[in-house]
Amino acid sequence: MTGLRAAGFPAEAVRARALAGAAEAFPPLAAYGREVFGAQPPAREATADLLDAARLVPPVFMPRRLEKLIDLGREPLYSDVDLTARVGGFAAALPVFLSAFGSTRLGSSELAVAASRQAGALGIPMVIGENVVPVNGYRGRSATTGLLDRVRAYVEATTDHIGGVVVQQSTEDADAEVWNLVHSDPAVEPLLATGRLGFELKVGQGAKPGLGGMTVLDGAAAGRVSEQYALDNVWHAEEAGVLRSSSPGTFTEEILRQQIRLMRNNFPRVKVWVKLHPGRDVAAAAEVAWAAGADAVTVDGAEGGSGWAPRAFLDHVGLPLGECLRRIGRPAGCLLATGRMWEGVRTVKALALGATAVGLGRAALVAADTDPREGLRRLVAVLALEARMLISALGKYTVDALDADDLWLPGGTVPIAEPAAVAGSSPAHSTVRLGPSRRPPPDQGGQP
Amino acid sequence: MQMEHSAGVVTAERLDRPPTPARHLSSDTTRAAMRVQNEVLRAVRAFLADEGFVELLPPVIGPVTDPGTRGSKQLDVDYYGHRYKVMTSGILYKQASLLAFDKLFFVAPNVRAEPPETCSTRRHLAEFHQIDLEVAGAGQAEAMALAEQLLVHVVRQVLVAVPDQLDLLGRDPAGFAGLLDGPFDVLTHRQAVAALHALRHPQSPDTEIAWTGEELLSERADRPFFVTDYPKGSRGFYDRESRTEPGRLCNFDLIAPGGYGELVSGSEREADYAAIVTRMRETGENPAKYLWYLDVIRGGIPPSAGFGMGLERLTRFLTGLPSVWQVNAYPKIPGEVAP
Repeated sequence: MTGLRAAGFPAEAVRARALAGAAEAFPPLAAYGREVFGAQPPAREATADLLDAARLVPPVFMPRRLEKLIDLGREPLYSDVDLTARVGGFAAALPVFLSAFGSTRLGSSELAVAASRQAGALGIPMVIGENVVPVNGYRGRSATTGLLDRVRAYVEATTDHIGGVVVQQSTEDADAEVWNLVHSDPAVEPLLATGRLGFELKVGQGAKPGLGGMTVLDGAAAGRVSEQYALDNVWHAEEAGVLRSSSPGTFTEEILRQQIRLMRNNFPRVKVWVKLHPGRDVAAAAEVAWAAGADAVTVDGAEGGSGWAPRAFLDHVGLPLGECLRRIGRPAGCLLATGRMWEGVRTVKALALGATAVGLGRAALVAADTDPREGLRRLVAVLALEARMLISALGKYTVDALDADDLWLPGGTVPIAEPAAVAGSSPAHSTVRLGPSRRPPPDQGGQP
Repeated sequence: MQMEHSAGVVTAERLDRPPTPARHLSSDTTRAAMRVQNEVLRAVRAFLADEGFVELLPPVIGPVTDPGTRGSKQLDVDYYGHRYKVMTSGILYKQASLLAFDKLFFVAPNVRAEPPETCSTRRHLAEFHQIDLEVAGAGQAEAMALAEQLLVHVVRQVLVAVPDQLDLLGRDPAGFAGLLDGPFDVLTHRQAVAALHALRHPQSPDTEIAWTGEELLSERADRPFFVTDYPKGSRGFYDRESRTEPGRLCNFDLIAPGGYGELVSGSEREADYAAIVTRMRETGENPAKYLWYLDVIRGGIPPSAGFGMGLERLTRFLTGLPSVWQVNAYPKIPGEVAP
């Protein structure tokens, strides 16, 4: 254990799950028969995140449970919930994937390799973050930091035809031609041959919407990348390190559309993922991405990340994840949600709001830090157990059966945005039509 | 689709490999192919000199090169501590050179680490040559006309100058009758997609025509034809976008008949600074690395059109040889280590 800390994130609960597994889904066993349990009183501060505020609400009448009863010939149990999902073009054992860690000290450490191996064993897709190649090299500056090390760890642990590896490319990565490098590497061929390679276009991230990736580098590492990145000596002390910033990259509707088309043109065997920051126009951006042929759109809520972000951004910039999902409404393609995911409740709520799967970022790092061999697997096992119990309680037995009716907010149901008209795929399209005027203007937020 | 097979799988085509350098260089086939290629170069230079072109010698490395498409990788060299690129094409230099001459050309060596799956297309080499020309003030139609005239001239010259070599290679001159008989056909990209769909061949309307689809159309043709107006997202940032039909590029490929496929790729060029920077973003490029080129463009260059004609592909078409490596003295097949 490295003593990895994660402020504002239930790191201790994640560590407990990474050590104890399914037992952590319940109160301590010693308390059984000795204590009574009830809901926690509501937190005094009203949460801004709809996902936190919403409750899952099982109905009394359950026609889908009847369907399952007929199918099974016996009463269904929570263990009958099928958690398999199609995540961004890949088969996945669970509606979960491993989010990008990137090139930060944490994300490129042996922890990342350990997490990759466990993700492979779990049969869930994995995203490898931006800037890994320009900063850490392709084959690894040390034995464990390179992109290829993570790919190898994943492939060795996985079985064929499940999961997949998605490689991000940022503006600076484009200089290092990360996608071309990966695509033509014989080591990646097993993934390509089984349709399990994806590339992710990173438009933005939740921890610092509107800014590019940031990490702190020591002097030597900073010298290596000084031609590619902006460096800022924020701390004015030799030993403190230097702030390395990526450019966020400029996007318009047309730039996003054409970049996705170019990815499909250049890499027809590769799945195309797009990662969006929680911008106020996130619904329009997701529509453009799907219409241009993206296999998945990841929405990263303003919840934090493994990198480095200014405090101003962590606390005050970007939409909470739940609001992003609400604005997107019924998605026109595969929607993935990330941001403060670590257990079953937030996962099931996100799925009910339209997500196909959720990404584990900080939670996966903390779990792998707690136990590099089994931590992530145990954490995911608890998440899966909770998800099965919650979904079956809603009278449903597949993840794609969840919908907004399964959620309740103080004051009523979640006001889901109407699905917007999908932009045509004609290259002549220069604008994307938004849906009916029921969609609230961005500045009103639409919080209940 | 064109790439369903795995590069790791040995197919019949993959067995079709160059022999040792000694056997390849001492083979009668190689010798005849080189004689044909020699005649091609003579004919090209004579034709372009008559048209008022100046031949420039192309650069081999630079801080940046043509970003290319379809997954081909650039090769790096360490240039006094800076990462330089081996030229994948001379397009950026051609545009800049319009400041010196209105009509110019290179016979340029290019290196593209093409994806390993192209090893079985029989028409990809990692190291190859282009007859690369550019004309100030020309548009798409003028560049297409020039490509057609050049090809017809070369074929005529080769038929007259080295019929014995074609005979030795078993190439029947009657195969060029369609080419020599009047103007080439023109198909828009949209029409080409429709033609492939009619043949029940999958092809996205938003992307490059895939290699298998292109070969299919080429096999069914008895004379060369142009495919024009590719969609944005399939080509580089320097191909000019139509001002009247956004999303359509003013570009073209010239496809040989008989399954030989693409010989020429060209376009009317974008010369407007803001449009080029925007198009760079649309193609996922970082404008900062194109500093020298953007400085030239910002200072103003003439509008132009031009194309690159693949020398080895042209020679393969003329000789009728099954694989393009057979017309290169030192062939390098994508994904394979060769001297």
